[in-house]
This record gives sequence, C-alpha cells and structure tokens, in this order.
Amino acid sequence: MIGARAGLSWHATAIALASLLATAAALRSAHSAPQTFDTALPVAQDQFVFRGQLSYRRATDDRTPADRELEVRGAIAVLGYGATRGLALFAVVPWLDKGLELDAPAGARSARTTAGVGDARLFARHTLLRRDRSGSTLRLAPFAGIELPSGDDDEEDRFGRLPRPLQIGSGSWDPFGGLILSWQTLAWELDAQVSYQANTDAGGFERGDELRIDGSLQYRLWPRELGGGVPGFLYGVIEANLLHQDENRMGGVEDPDSGGTTLFLSPGVQYVTRRWVVEGIVQVPVAQDPGGGALEDDFIVRAGFRVSF
Amino acid sequence: MKPLISALLALTLASSSTLSAWAAGARYRIEVAGLACPFCAYGIEKQLYRVAGVENAETHIREGAVIVTMREGAVLDEDAARKAVEDAGFTFNGLEALHADR
Repeated sequence: MIGARAGLSWHATAIALASLLATAAALRSAHSAPQTFDTALPVAQDQFVFRGQLSYRRATDDRTPADRELEVRGAIAVLGYGATRGLALFAVVPWLDKGLELDAPAGARSARTTAGVGDARLFARHTLLRRDRSGSTLRLAPFAGIELPSGDDDEEDRFGRLPRPLQIGSGSWDPFGGLILSWQTLAWELDAQVSYQANTDAGGFERGDELRIDGSLQYRLWPRELGGGVPGFLYGVIEANLLHQDENRMGGVEDPDSGGTTLFLSPGVQYVTRRWVVEGIVQVPVAQDPGGGALEDDFIVRAGFRVSF
Repeated sequence: MKPLISALLALTLASSSTLSAWAAGARYRIEVAGLACPFCAYGIEKQLYRVAGVENAETHIREGAVIVTMREGAVLDEDAARKAVEDAGFTFNGLEALHADR
C-alpha cells in the first residue's frame, strides 16, 4: 500500500510521465470531501458552531495497466458564525494527506505522497424562507462562496513535480453557489442540496466544473418516545450524493481521463445533544462513470464531532 | 383562642409560601415554533440568558416550550422574549406567566 517506496530513481522521469498521464485529473477534487452538508449547519445569531471531521478515502479500481491505488486522509475543520438572524458565515479548512501508488512502466511499484493544508472555502448562507410549526421547521437558503488557493499546488517529490490532481491545492480561485433545503421534525430531518462550483484556470491547469446534488435523511432511533427536557437524539442516517465533474483542461485541452459521475449511498449514525454532536458515515459508490481511465472509488469513511458555543 | 391560632398559622404558611415563590423568581412559559432538535435548544437558551434578569432557561423540546425562571424581583418582558427567540432563528408563539404551583 502507500508508503512502500521503491528505489527507482533511474526511471523517475518515466514514473513522472506515467503518473501524470495515467492519473492527471483522474483524482477528483479533494473538496468533494464534506459529504455531510456543511451548508445545512444550524447556527443562531451571535453563536458559533465548529465541526471537526476525519476522513479516509480509498480508490483502487483502476482500468489502466498502472494499477493505481489512491488513499486520501483528511482532517477538516468547519467554523460557522451567525452574523444575523438569517445570515450565517462559514469557513472550511482541510488538512490532507494524499498518497498514490502505481506500477511504473518497468514493472516496479512506486508511491507518490504529499500532505498539507488544502484549499479553504469561505461561504455565506442566507435563509430566504422559514416556515416554523410546533415541532417542525422548513427552511430554504441560498449560499455562495469561494474556494481559495491556500493549498500548495507546486509540490515535488523525488520524481519531480507532482501531477496537478495529486497536489493538495488547486492554485485557483473557484466560486461556488447553491441552494439548501432543510425540513426537520421531532422524528426526522430531510436535507437536500444542489450546488455548482466553477473552477478556474491556474498555471495552465483547470479542474472541471463540479455539480453536486445531495440528499440526507435522518431518522430518530432513540429515544422512541420523547419525555420532558432535551434528551439526546440518536439518529440513523442515510445520504445520497450525486457528484459530476467535467473533464479537466491542461493547456486549454480537455483531458479525457478525468471527470465523470459518481453516485454514493451512505449509511451513518449521529448522536445529537444540545451542545455537541458525534457522527460517522460510510460513503459507498453504487454507480460510477469515470471519464476515460479515471480511478473509481472504493469507499469513503467520515467521523467527527460538532460543538456549539 | 383555637381559631386565632389556626388563622395565624395559616397566615404564616401562606406568607412563607409566597415568600418562597418570590425568592425563586417569577416563571414564564415561552411557546416556540420550529424547535425540532436538541442542538437547536442550546441556541435559544443562550439567547434567553442574555435577557436581563433571566436566571434559568429550560427547554422542553416535545412541547415546543421554554420555561424561564427569573431572578428575584425581575420580570420577563414579552418583547425581550420575542427578540431572543427570533434571534435564535425560531418563531415566538406567546408568553405566559406561570403560577407558583406550575
């Protein structure tokens, strides 16, 4: 697996070329990472919410002779602040550790790794519609923001500069926006989100634009009957995430081995108290249509907590 | 003599009960619409604690209500309660003063 480095300096150039051609743009943006919607986080006026999340992604289904194996470990910090009754501001900062292992043309196995702070995301959400009833609420809110080029996009290893999709950062300023709908009752919560990110060019490389449609259903498993006060809620969670990414462009030319569409179905659990939340989810790809020789995902695991203050 | 003693005793008990209730502070029930999860309860309680005179705020999520206990001598103003609920992102549905036995 990742970490088993072979001493193959004599064909470093070949590896660099192979990894560039075989994986360039095959690796989706690390920022498809936050699968539990940060855009739906509740935060009251003058209040903060912090979410910390660990993630692990593995993608090994390779249709090319390179037999690539990708692992991405992440630690994602999300801070939200209620600026007014309807306006909430969010910052998302990921730390990523990426590793790609592949067969070199000569047959030896090699690995390329990088780690660091990735591209941060800043966005604002404004609640346009709020319909409150006793024990339920329906909210509709548009959001918009930008992904900053805070992550390194020029990392090198002994084989030379890492291919752009393996870099921690994109190097580009990428605006995004969308709409989030939340419908919550005492027994269940439904969230649905559609978002689009327009990725821009940086140094001759442009990631494909990203369209996401996400749904999340949380059902209260415990307590079965509500008493007085505010008991902790244990929710069973099922999410669906449809991700589509256009092909990347390198020097203005589309890369056929990039982009594609994936549908994840993700079971999870969530325990919610008045001050903190712990949660975990496993994203399982149930349908994948990667572009050309792009890698297919095996699974993504996420676990984290949330605290209000 | 016996009726006089009984009357004095009753008066003493009543006074003590009233004083006790007064010492605990006035209590109110705020009806809140939109309250549907434990995580939301903290936001509304935090806003209520910012209101002058509020000693305790206790959410009852099933009932969609918050019971507020005031400090001795303090009174909960309806506009202040409404603002706290709305600032927390919920809908204020009314305020009721609770008697000592509720």
